[in-house]
Amino acid sequence: MTTTPQAAPNGAAGGKRLPKRRPRKTPLSTAIIPWLFLAPALVIFTWFKFYPMVSGFSMSFYNVQFYADSEWVGLDNFYKAFDDPDLRLAVFHTTIYVIVATLGASVTALCLALFLEGPARHLRIIRTAIFLPAITSVAIIAEIWRILFNSADYGIINATLGFLGVAPQGFLSDPDQALWVLILMSIWKSAPYDMVIFVAGLVGINRELYDAASVDGASPWRKFWHVTIPGIIPSISVVVMLSFIRGFRIFAEVYATTGGGPAGSTATIMTHVYKVGFEELNYGYASAVSLLLLLFTVALTLVHMKIKSRFTV
Amino acid sequence: MSLNERAPVGLSLREEFILKKTRSLLMLGCAMFCATTLTAKAESISVWSRQTDESISVLKALTDAFTADTGITVETFNTGIDFEQRLARAAAGRTLPDIVLNDTAAMGQMRQMGILQSIDPASITGNQDVVASAWDGAKANDGKFYAVPMSAQSFAMFVRKDWREKLGMPEPKTWEDVRKLAEAFTTKDPDGNGKDDTFGMAIPGSTTRGYTSWFMSSLIWQAGGDFVKQEADGFVPTVNTPQVAAALTYVRGMICDKLSQPGAINATTGDTLPTFRSGQTGIFMSGPYHIPQLDAEPGKDKVEVLMMPAGPGGIASLAEGTSAYLLKGAKDEAAAKKFLAFVISPKGQEIAMAEGSGKTPLVRLPVNAKVDVNAVRNDPRWMIFKETFDKYSHYMPAVPNWTAIRMITAEGFNRVLAKCDADIPAELETLNKQVAKELSNQKALSASAK
Repeated sequence: MTTTPQAAPNGAAGGKRLPKRRPRKTPLSTAIIPWLFLAPALVIFTWFKFYPMVSGFSMSFYNVQFYADSEWVGLDNFYKAFDDPDLRLAVFHTTIYVIVATLGASVTALCLALFLEGPARHLRIIRTAIFLPAITSVAIIAEIWRILFNSADYGIINATLGFLGVAPQGFLSDPDQALWVLILMSIWKSAPYDMVIFVAGLVGINRELYDAASVDGASPWRKFWHVTIPGIIPSISVVVMLSFIRGFRIFAEVYATTGGGPAGSTATIMTHVYKVGFEELNYGYASAVSLLLLLFTVALTLVHMKIKSRFTV
Repeated sequence: MSLNERAPVGLSLREEFILKKTRSLLMLGCAMFCATTLTAKAESISVWSRQTDESISVLKALTDAFTADTGITVETFNTGIDFEQRLARAAAGRTLPDIVLNDTAAMGQMRQMGILQSIDPASITGNQDVVASAWDGAKANDGKFYAVPMSAQSFAMFVRKDWREKLGMPEPKTWEDVRKLAEAFTTKDPDGNGKDDTFGMAIPGSTTRGYTSWFMSSLIWQAGGDFVKQEADGFVPTVNTPQVAAALTYVRGMICDKLSQPGAINATTGDTLPTFRSGQTGIFMSGPYHIPQLDAEPGKDKVEVLMMPAGPGGIASLAEGTSAYLLKGAKDEAAAKKFLAFVISPKGQEIAMAEGSGKTPLVRLPVNAKVDVNAVRNDPRWMIFKETFDKYSHYMPAVPNWTAIRMITAEGFNRVLAKCDADIPAELETLNKQVAKELSNQKALSASAK
C-alpha cells in the first residue's frame, strides 16, 4: 500500500484527475490554515481583550498619570488593597451575596427543573415564560425592581404586604434590607438560566435507574437522593461555578438600583472598583483590586475543578 | 487627428491613454494637496463641554458667533455622562481638546490629571471686566489661575406655589417654615386627587458623584458649619462640629419622617428632578439652570422661586460656577485664548445666557460686570439667584482636590441619613478623621489638625 487509507477510496471514486485537484497538504499548510481562520477573531480579541488585560496588569504597579509619565509604585497598590476598610466591607457584602444568591438560585432552579421537566407542550410554554428574566437587560430589571420595591406605602410589594397586615418596608432604602432585595433579584434573574442547565442534566439520566430503584421499593425521596442528584452532578457543578463567577463580578444590578448605598450597605467589589477608578480616577489602585479579583476567581475555578474531578472519577 | 500627429513621438494608442490618465490623476492629486494645505491654514480649535444634549444648541450658537467674528472654526463635543472618564481617555491617547467647559469645582481633579495649563489673566482680552469673586473661583491653592470663569450660580428653592396657596401656608423663610410646609405637602393632599401620594422635599441622597455632599453643603452653611477651616498652613477638617450635626439631623428628619420622596437615600439629581416635575414633591432646591424645564412642567404659574431658608446660621447657598479651561498641548494657543476672550465678552456671555431659548443656559449668572442680568433675563426669579449669589453664597473649599473630599463626605453623610437611629456625632467624628487623612494625602492638612 503506497496510498494512505483516506486516499485509496478517493482515488477509486474520483478517477485520474483527482490528485491534481486536491494536492496533498503539506504539514506547513495544515499548521497554518487553522490559524488563518482564527486570525480575525484573534486580532479582535487581542485588541479589545488581551491588550487591555495586560495594560490593566501593568497599571496596577503604577500611580497612573494621564498626561505625565506614570509613577512606578511597586506593590503599594496591593498593600493598600489589603489595608482598605471600604474594600473589606465590599468583599464581605459580595461574599454574602454570592453564597446566598448561588444557593437560592440553585435550589429554586432545581425545583423548577423537576416540576417542568418533560416534553409536553404546556411545559415548554411555561419554561419559555419562566426563562424570560434571564434574557432581559439588567438595567430594565433593575428599574422594574425599583418600582416593585418602592418604599412608599403605595409601592406594589408594600401594598401587597399591607393586605397581610405587614407595615411598609424600606427595601432598597433600608441599609438592613437593600442587600437582600438585590439577592432576591439575582435569584429571580438567574434561576431560570440555571433551570435550563438542570433540565438538560435531568434528561441525561438513564430512566432504567429509576425503574430499578422502583423495583427495589425506593421511596421518591430516596430516588431523588440516590439517582437524580448523582446524575446531575455535572450540571450542579456548572451552575455553581457560573453563579460564583457571575456573583463576584456583580456590578450593573447594584449600580442601577442603589449605587452602593444606602450607608454603603450594598457596596460590592466592582462598585468599589468603579468608584475608585472612574469617579476618583485612581486607575492604578482600581487595576490592582481588579487583578486580585481575577486571581481569586481563577483560584476558585481551579479548586472547583479539583473537587469536581474527585466527584466524577 | 491628434493621434496621428503624435504618432512620430512613438506612443501607441494604449500608451497615449495611460499618459492622459496619469496626467489627470496628477492634476487631481495636486488639487487635493492644495485644498488640504488651504484647510490646514484656516485656524481651528476643539472645545469639549460637560452638558447634556438638551442644550447643545446653546453651545452651537456660541461657537457659530465666534467663528463669524474671528474666522476660527470650532469643533465641539458635549456629554453629560462620564465626562471626566472621557477626558482621562483623551489624555492617555494624547487627543485632548484645546478647551474644556466644565464645573469650577472640577479644577482640582483636572489639575491632578495633569492636563491643565495655567493662564495669566492679563493675557486674556477683557479680563478686567470679569468680577473679582469669579476670578477667585478659578484660582488654585498654588495661587495660579487654571481657568477663565464664564458663569456663576447660586441655589434657591423651587416651591409648588399652587399647592402652598391652596393649603394657605406662608412663604417659607426658615428651616422651621420649610419643615412645616413639607409636612403639609405630605399629609394634606395638596394636589387634591384624594390619594396620599405627595411629599415635601425632593432630596438627592445618593453617593454617586458625591450628590449627598453636594446637596448637604448649602444646609451645612445654613447651620453655620463648614467642611473645613482654612489656616495659614493648610486646612482643618470641621465636619465633626455641632453645626454639621444639626444640618444632618434636620435633613434626616425629613427622610425618616417620610417628608421626602420614597427612595431619597438612593436618589441622584437625575431622579429628583422628575419627582418635582411630575408633582410627587413640592420643594426642590436647585440652581437657575432648571428654570426653563420647570416652566414647561409643572408650569410657570405653578412654581415659585424662593430664597434659601435661614438655618441657625442664617441664609446660605452653595456657589458654583462654570469655567473655561485651557488644556495642555493646545495646538493653537492664540486661537484658544481668543475663544476664552470671546466667552467672557459681553456678546459671548449674552449668547450663552440663551434667554428665551427654553434651553438650559451655559451662562447662568454672567461674570462680566458689563452684562446686566436683569436687562437680559427680565425675570425677577433670576434676581433671587443673583442676590443670593452676591450676599449669601459659599464656594466649595479650595482644597487641592475637592472631588476626593466630596466623595468621602458623601459616603459619610449618606451613612448618617440612611439610619434613623445612627449616632450622628460619633459618625461625624469618624468622618472627620477620614477627611483629615485625605487632606494629609493631598498634603493640605494643617499642622494644628494633626
